[in-house]
Amino acid sequence: MIIPAKNPIIEIHDLTVAYQTKPVLWGIDFTLPKGGLIGIIGPNGAGKSTLLKTIMGLNPINSGYIKIFDTSIQKVRQRIGYVPQRESVDWDFPTTVFDVVMMGRYQYMSFFSNKTKDKAIAMHCLAKVGMDALAQRQIGQLSGGQQQRVFLARALAQEADLYFMDEPFAGVDAATEAIIFSLLQKMTKEAGKTIIVVHHDLQSVRHYFDWLVMLNMHLVAVGPTHKVFQPALLQKTYGGKLTLLHEVENLLQKKNINPREHC
Amino acid sequence: MLSLKKIIIFFTIENPNIGYVTLSILLLTSSAALVGTFTFLKKKSLIGDAIAHAVLPGICFAFMLTGTKHTFFLLLGAAFTGFLSLICIDAIITHSKIKEDTAIAIVLSVFFGVGTLLLTHIQHAGNPEQTGLNNFLLGKAAALLEQDVWTFGIISFLIVITIIFFFKPLFIIAFDRSFAQSIGMSITFFDFLLTLLLVLAITVGIQAVGVVLMAAMLITPAAAARFWTYKIKKMIVLSVIFSITAGLLGTTISYLYPAMPTGPWIVLVVSCIALLSFIFAPNKGIIAKKMKRDRFKKKIIVENTLKIFYHLGEKDKNFFNKRTLDHHFTQKVSPSQLKYAIQYLQRIKCIQKNITPSSSKAIDWFLTEKGKAMAVQVVRRHRLWELYLSTYLNIPSDHVHDEAESIEHILTEDMEKKLMQLLKNPTKDPHQSQIP
Repeated sequence: MIIPAKNPIIEIHDLTVAYQTKPVLWGIDFTLPKGGLIGIIGPNGAGKSTLLKTIMGLNPINSGYIKIFDTSIQKVRQRIGYVPQRESVDWDFPTTVFDVVMMGRYQYMSFFSNKTKDKAIAMHCLAKVGMDALAQRQIGQLSGGQQQRVFLARALAQEADLYFMDEPFAGVDAATEAIIFSLLQKMTKEAGKTIIVVHHDLQSVRHYFDWLVMLNMHLVAVGPTHKVFQPALLQKTYGGKLTLLHEVENLLQKKNINPREHC
Repeated sequence: MLSLKKIIIFFTIENPNIGYVTLSILLLTSSAALVGTFTFLKKKSLIGDAIAHAVLPGICFAFMLTGTKHTFFLLLGAAFTGFLSLICIDAIITHSKIKEDTAIAIVLSVFFGVGTLLLTHIQHAGNPEQTGLNNFLLGKAAALLEQDVWTFGIISFLIVITIIFFFKPLFIIAFDRSFAQSIGMSITFFDFLLTLLLVLAITVGIQAVGVVLMAAMLITPAAAARFWTYKIKKMIVLSVIFSITAGLLGTTISYLYPAMPTGPWIVLVVSCIALLSFIFAPNKGIIAKKMKRDRFKKKIIVENTLKIFYHLGEKDKNFFNKRTLDHHFTQKVSPSQLKYAIQYLQRIKCIQKNITPSSSKAIDWFLTEKGKAMAVQVVRRHRLWELYLSTYLNIPSDHVHDEAESIEHILTEDMEKKLMQLLKNPTKDPHQSQIP
């Protein structure tokens, strides 16, 4: 079930992505609406993070194309914000909470510019996630939930219109989860932002997301959560490996063929 | 023999050549440390080693082609094979199943092998110019000349300026590559820039340190500096200070003993600095860590002793009874530990000595109000944890005691409150003992 969005903020057309020659996403084609909290769900290895990164232009595309704000990603980088997976960085890196959040202001600063305003914004964003008291703390001393909140504060400091978040709720305590969710809700409901979230926990899906992308290497369903979040589609997303697809995939890898290679 | 006069000559720089040598050392060690810090933070330490070894064939080729030992040509050759080695490593990783560490090892040894081969060939070819070329193996700072200072000065200046100007993007990329990419930074450009700086730093550095040990000049100062600070800017400054210190000391030593090559001495000094940092640095050093562990161990001993007072008091229904340090105590705590705990508890006025004159030799002790309060806290945390384990984790009540023995010392006041809330202010633990 693929429900098109009116007034889409993102359009994805016939997208195929492969690592080396191993395909990860097959023929993805859908649109996402402006405003609201959008979830991407699917089993491990379904290509959720890959999809997120590809939309942001961080992965090479094998075929198809993507439009954001009706143009290419390169032209609208200033309008997007990103929260990578918490585990993707080394938290023992010699830096402070504040300096990580200041990274979110990089696009607004130049070498000689006055940074007073940027510093104030960074502090304000830290306050929003309840971490302002820990601004000068070494990042290695933070708990998992606090690390996630630092990442969120950095994204807030980007002052973007469209946010991509890779598992912001993974491995955080209940209190942090509540803080993050209420913050995301405020951003979408009050400020009209669009937030795309890779998500793992099926229990909270119905409660959290307005719109849902169900993925398992191919697109299973896209649409308003109340329409697509239903047993039959869940079964299709999570149940049973797509044996034939996997066999073809292995064959392609073995024969070193690009899935979209034509004669 | 080592003479004071020689040292004085060295440091007063009466001999102009010494001045050049010192200045060169200063420039090349600091630029190596500067670039090395970023390589270290990007966890690419081995790449530096590969490049350092791979510049040797370049130097030899340059010499064979030009027939001179002019620094500029040699550096050009060095940079060329340095880059070539990186291209080879990348090619091996992308086009084969071989992983990065293996690829580095292969390229490093092949390039260095070729380099050694060429060097031997040159030495036997009979060109009188070749004397001193083997200094590139282990470094000879004394061979540095006035013209070298200019070359090094310019290159080091370029390195410092580039790093200062691009500090922010280099820092962001080192910490979080995909975020950097997402805000439109060109990862390819900055990776190339850092590699270029690395090759430059190495090619100038090998004159003093030699190709074999150059990696140490890149990485060791950064590794040592990491022990002292968690702020990247401080870390960079520290690693530059460390490497300059090592450079100057190493050069002094090799000046005083001319038979000694400079490189190994510089590396030895910088390694000593790293070792000292590893041992003595606050927080991260092993002594600081051991002290922290010891403090915690002492806390456990003291709290366990208090607990014994409490348990005995619970049995007698009087917590302030006088106790001799009998088998009740020695069963749980060793005599030396007990001695420490009693002294400590007396000092912080948790227990008091029985002062009534008595004929018996045994000394009696009893809890003060403060001591009882502390004992209550430990016992409460122990029993709360037992109850938590059996209620929430379904662990049978005869298995929860040992676990609680260690957790009781770690729990904080905040956690205790949460436990009380979660367990709804319980009064009995799983063994039906009162939770105080």
